Amino acid sequence: MTAKGKDKTAEGEAKVAVYICHCGGNISDQVDVEKLEAMAKEFPGVTVARRDMFMCSDPGQNKIIEDLKSGAADRVVIASCSPSLHETTFRNAVMRAGVNPYMYEHANIREQCSWVHHGEAATRKAAGLVAAAVGKARHLKPLESIRMDAVDHVTVVGGGISGLKSARDLAMRGLKVTLIEKTPFLGGNVAQLDRLFPTNEPAAELLQEVVDEVRARPEIEVLTCAELTESEGYVGNFTLKVTRTPPTGEEECERLRTVEAAGAGEGRFVPFVGILPEAVPATEETREISTGAVVLATGFRHYSPPKGLYGYGEHPEVITLPDLIRLMAEKEDTGGMLEVNGRPIKSMAMIRCVGSRQIPGIHEPDENGNLNEHCSRACCTATLQADREIKEKYPETVIYDFYRDIRAYGRGHEEFYVGASQDGVLFLRFEPDGPPVVGPASDPDYALSVMAKDTLLSGQELDVPVDLVVLSVGMVPSDVSGLIDKMKLPVGADRFLLEVHPKLRPVELANTGVLLAGTCQAPMDSTEASEGATAAAVKAAALLAKGHVELDPYVATVNTELCEGTGACVAECPHPGCVTLVDAPEGKGKKAEINPALCTGCGMCVAVCPNVAIEVNGWTLRQYEAMVDAIVALPATKELVEA
Amino acid sequence: MQRRESAPKILILATEDCAYPGANSVGQAHLSYGENTYILRTREPAMFPERFYLDCFDKGIAGIIIMSCGVECPYEGAYDALAKRVDGVYRQMKERGLDIRRLRLTAICTVCNRAFLNEVKNMNQVVTELGLPGEEIREAVIA
Repeated sequence: MTAKGKDKTAEGEAKVAVYICHCGGNISDQVDVEKLEAMAKEFPGVTVARRDMFMCSDPGQNKIIEDLKSGAADRVVIASCSPSLHETTFRNAVMRAGVNPYMYEHANIREQCSWVHHGEAATRKAAGLVAAAVGKARHLKPLESIRMDAVDHVTVVGGGISGLKSARDLAMRGLKVTLIEKTPFLGGNVAQLDRLFPTNEPAAELLQEVVDEVRARPEIEVLTCAELTESEGYVGNFTLKVTRTPPTGEEECERLRTVEAAGAGEGRFVPFVGILPEAVPATEETREISTGAVVLATGFRHYSPPKGLYGYGEHPEVITLPDLIRLMAEKEDTGGMLEVNGRPIKSMAMIRCVGSRQIPGIHEPDENGNLNEHCSRACCTATLQADREIKEKYPETVIYDFYRDIRAYGRGHEEFYVGASQDGVLFLRFEPDGPPVVGPASDPDYALSVMAKDTLLSGQELDVPVDLVVLSVGMVPSDVSGLIDKMKLPVGADRFLLEVHPKLRPVELANTGVLLAGTCQAPMDSTEASEGATAAAVKAAALLAKGHVELDPYVATVNTELCEGTGACVAECPHPGCVTLVDAPEGKGKKAEINPALCTGCGMCVAVCPNVAIEVNGWTLRQYEAMVDAIVALPATKELVEA
Repeated sequence: MQRRESAPKILILATEDCAYPGANSVGQAHLSYGENTYILRTREPAMFPERFYLDCFDKGIAGIIIMSCGVECPYEGAYDALAKRVDGVYRQMKERGLDIRRLRLTAICTVCNRAFLNEVKNMNQVVTELGLPGEEIREAVIA
């Protein structure tokens, strides 16, 4: 077979339409899309080749629909971004044209071409990928998706603000919800705050309101001291095992004592603890939950500075921002000066980007070799909020705010910066390779001195005497390694859970039916976390709204004409009862038979069949062979002949 | 002697759960690698019979990297079956005089950018050294 010349008769009446997406310039900046279109027209079986600035747009999809409806083509190849982004979009477009949605194949010419190859090489590579996709498309067959009943129940993992809000929003849509939280308390990290920016509303009031609603809703079951220990199944039909364990950790027990001492009882907020919604379990118990979708709201933890970083752990006057927030919240407002450990704070330093925006070669990785290269985003405004609160309550305190950059990015955040500046906070910029140095003060009236270079103005070396240093620590993901292992969750380079696409599918994981809410996904403030929680709830509700889910029909099928009943497939299949040998009609011996409900579509049976009588729908050997044929038929990328 | 050196083609069989998103992750990071690589998305490479690999070499594919999910494979027993299958292919490659370095079984996760690039680089070195499949046999005969 050659790449050139029409050869429609070899594969019957297959008529392939190829659509090439410019993706703005993401593809067309590197791939010569006009040339690719001309090449595609010459590929065997191709009857139509067209381009569009955005194939996923309505005009782009309309081109597909027009060509299929007119009969110019009976199957399509879309050459665009990764299929993980728009496979569903294009399947739906094909279906709207009245064609079976599986008469569509995808060529990934963005992530696996224009973003990694350049110039002519990118065009050649794109041609190879499109040729391969056309090769497969010529062997496509209509398939019917498998419809499975879905459980109208969602499990929310995590009882912080995101989990609570997701649970509440799901219940409002009529779904039953189990919320599991590993500690005895609801509230998560928001319970460790005093007031929330940008409105300065008390964290306690917000949490109390949401928890009251969660507890009052009969659709929601709350399980504290609970962890997900097993997970299996698929969207619509997950089976989870949840184990509840009596708390034994020192921190949890201390918090339980705090609740008891406060006399708050069940359901009442206790500052810097959270809300105890129910009595803790007396014995370990495991239960099984059938659920249709899972919302992960496992949150974050604050970066813990290593001993010695800016004097942390060496000088008691060096604390973190969460420590400061708690100190100020718990201090009785008696006027006078802010006091920490009995020391009046005449002057203090804030140091930002501690454990965030770390740079290889400048910052030391942690004991696991991880660097936090991400920006934690929320800490800038949180620090400004603390600056303002101190200036409001203790106007005589001098604040030096050492920053690399200030990212007051959210609505109402900039006002904190303007306000802090007007309040007299002194902002001093430092470079990553010249951070402030904290040491003992030379002035006996102060505890510490902070030495830094003022890089913004004079370049002058500064030696600032202070009574307190506050480290604005960043956000790192909670340790959910167990969950990642059990559910095989994708994780980003920043170690947060990774959505399919930040804009197109921002709260979905690649694991269908598993959704993300809040800071398990990335650093964000409580406003954004709440938005994410609602988005995840809506997405989960939409998945389960019909009472059933449609699964791809990628299961094994047997060609009984070719099957000789060797039983090799039965022996190879790991799922008992999935493949069996049954008597063929008219005494034609034994033939393999598949139970689609038990088949995972792994294809292990395909490899051992001596007659290629068994195939996985949509992923057949013949289709792969056609792809390889198309790839080898293209000219090599460069030819060098030496005599 | 006429020696032909022709940017030999490398086939990458990438699992849709792990290695294919891993290759996307390399793209998202705009990290470059040889364009003589062709990534085919698979559900699970354990579906390919031994003859598939040998046919690929016969057709002119110079190197094949099977990028599986490794022990993270979501399909029960599939990784062990795949490893056994690859052993079988190695045996047949040796019988045919094909250098077994042309076929590589590895595990690539969704964010294994460095590992992905390393595997492609190493296979490119192998196929550049060996040329098209069968050239090592000719070299051996001449030697």
